[in-house]
Amino acid sequence: MSMLTVSNLSRYFGGLAAVVDMSFTVEKGEIVGLIGPNGAGKTTVFNMLSGFIPPTSGEIIYQGRRMNGLKPHQICELGVTRTFQVVQPFPDMTVLENTMIGAYVRHPNTTDAKRKALETLERVDLDAKADKLGRDLTLLELKRLEIGKALASEPDLLLLDEAAAGLKDTEIEDILTLIRQLNREGMTLLIVEHLMKVIMNLSHRIIVLDFGKMIAEGTPQEISQHPAVLEAYLGKDE
Amino acid sequence: MKTVWTQKGFLIPAGALLIAILLPIFASEYALHIAVLVLLYAYLSTAWNVLGGYAGQHSLGHSLFLGIGAYTSTFLFTKIGLTPWVGMWIGALLAGLVGWFVGYLCFRYGLKGPYFALVTIAIAEAMVSLTNNINFIGGAMGLEVKWLGNSPLLMQFESKAGYYYIALVMLVIALWLVYWLSRQRFGYHLIAVRENEDAAEALGVDTLRVKIQASILSAFLTALGGTFFAQYFTYINPRNVFGEGPSIQILLFAIVGGLGTVWGPAVGALVLVPIAELARGWLGGSFAGAHLLLYGTVMVLVMLFMPKGIIGLYESIRQRLKRGSSAPEEERTPA
Ligand SMILES: Nc1ncnc2c1ncn2[C@@H]1O[C@H](COP(=O)(O)OP(=O)(O)OP(=O)(O)O)[C@@H](O)[C@H]1O
Ligand SMILES: [Mg+2]
Repeated sequence: MSMLTVSNLSRYFGGLAAVVDMSFTVEKGEIVGLIGPNGAGKTTVFNMLSGFIPPTSGEIIYQGRRMNGLKPHQICELGVTRTFQVVQPFPDMTVLENTMIGAYVRHPNTTDAKRKALETLERVDLDAKADKLGRDLTLLELKRLEIGKALASEPDLLLLDEAAAGLKDTEIEDILTLIRQLNREGMTLLIVEHLMKVIMNLSHRIIVLDFGKMIAEGTPQEISQHPAVLEAYLGKDE
Repeated sequence: MKTVWTQKGFLIPAGALLIAILLPIFASEYALHIAVLVLLYAYLSTAWNVLGGYAGQHSLGHSLFLGIGAYTSTFLFTKIGLTPWVGMWIGALLAGLVGWFVGYLCFRYGLKGPYFALVTIAIAEAMVSLTNNINFIGGAMGLEVKWLGNSPLLMQFESKAGYYYIALVMLVIALWLVYWLSRQRFGYHLIAVRENEDAAEALGVDTLRVKIQASILSAFLTALGGTFFAQYFTYINPRNVFGEGPSIQILLFAIVGGLGTVWGPAVGALVLVPIAELARGWLGGSFAGAHLLLYGTVMVLVMLFMPKGIIGLYESIRQRLKRGSSAPEEERTPA
């Protein structure tokens, strides 16, 4: 049985078809990439998987359990945590406190949550900034915090929405290393990314969306030669 | 081992508590009256702060819970002779139930910010009209707490000192409770909900439940203060407990002192209540409502010049002093 099975998932915003009849699976231990041009519907898929918006139709099964209708916090408790494309810190809380909110999911006790949060901050290289307020962080720090908060909740399936967008090459390299390491430790990841080299580098499997429709699925090699993908990206400066 | 009581941060509160305990020995009755008001409003504002300051849900109708506490214990006392010491808990439970209901109604349907504030005003105003028209609780005339002589068991005292110590104990317990909560998961969840609800939900926080719990706790505590209010003033009517007056004062002290901080509401009340009472005394006869004008002016000034209240100002000065005296940090290398 697959870890995540999505069948015939669709979402309409009025007349706009953001996601249309999408079906795919994610196996335990995989890194699956979700790509597509701007507005293809990637974030909308994440919003449905994480319970922020209900699908218009279709079904989401995680570990044999139907996820439709669950609230985001329930989905997080079940082991699926998402990050946001537009970073969502708690501005008036410190970096440590921000991360503790994630850690509380598995550690209700404050002492344990704090320990877990500090551990996590080391992983995302923010331990030196633990006492800084969320509002005072740079973009790079915010990006790291976004991942740190999610990691602290110890997900089995992590959904990363453009975790590397806007970062410099060396900073991207750090995030790639982290993602690989997390995967090696057993975490399953579904990642949305604009940067081709990131996605080609990391993913075991890639799903391509265009105008809400799945136009291709395969290994990075297959995807890089897929005619429909080349067409979707043709003329786009990626 | 270092306990909280030996930490430096507790010197000021411990000192304040000592002075507060000794105050009735040398204070005049009038000074003691103002002190009781300070404690009462500090307490009510601290209770409001759980929902308004920590969870960031700005209720403008907390008089609803004040009134429920005041009316429940007073009604039970005057009609069946039940001591307010028992009545206050019944009132608090009732208010907690109403707090749950109001919270559920508003938060379930996603009311936020000004919309939540408006609904709370509307509900409190509706209670004014409702109680105005219920005759067995005195209608618009209200209820009087019958004076049965000095009787601690009925929460009635000849001297102000009795009331003073009750209010002091209530405030200390409320402050301790908020201090303790602010270090628990629940306290952090409250702030997370205020700071970013989507992020909180994504990280497993049941934001609806957290907000409703805050509403229940805040209502429960406020109603306990309502019973004290009735016992101290010995007279309540719909307008003076359910009306907008107490609602505004409660929130004003928290804003001036510092929203979402343990000490803010108490500090706000400590600074503002004496000023307002003195102004009322000096100008009251010739210029009715002078204290309201004063409150309005202070509120505008605070929001303009110290948006994080007195506690926020204190914290930023402390930070600056600390930074000035300690070794310079690595900080601010140009990128
Ligand atoms: N809440 C919403 N209401 C209305 N339309 C929406 C909403 N969310 C997304 N859309 C629309 O759905 C389409 C897909 O948007 P989505 O954000 O999922 O794309 P994306 O693939 O994540 O794009 P990007 O690469 O720019 O992040 C877009 O046309 C967008 O305008
Ligand atoms: Mg997107």
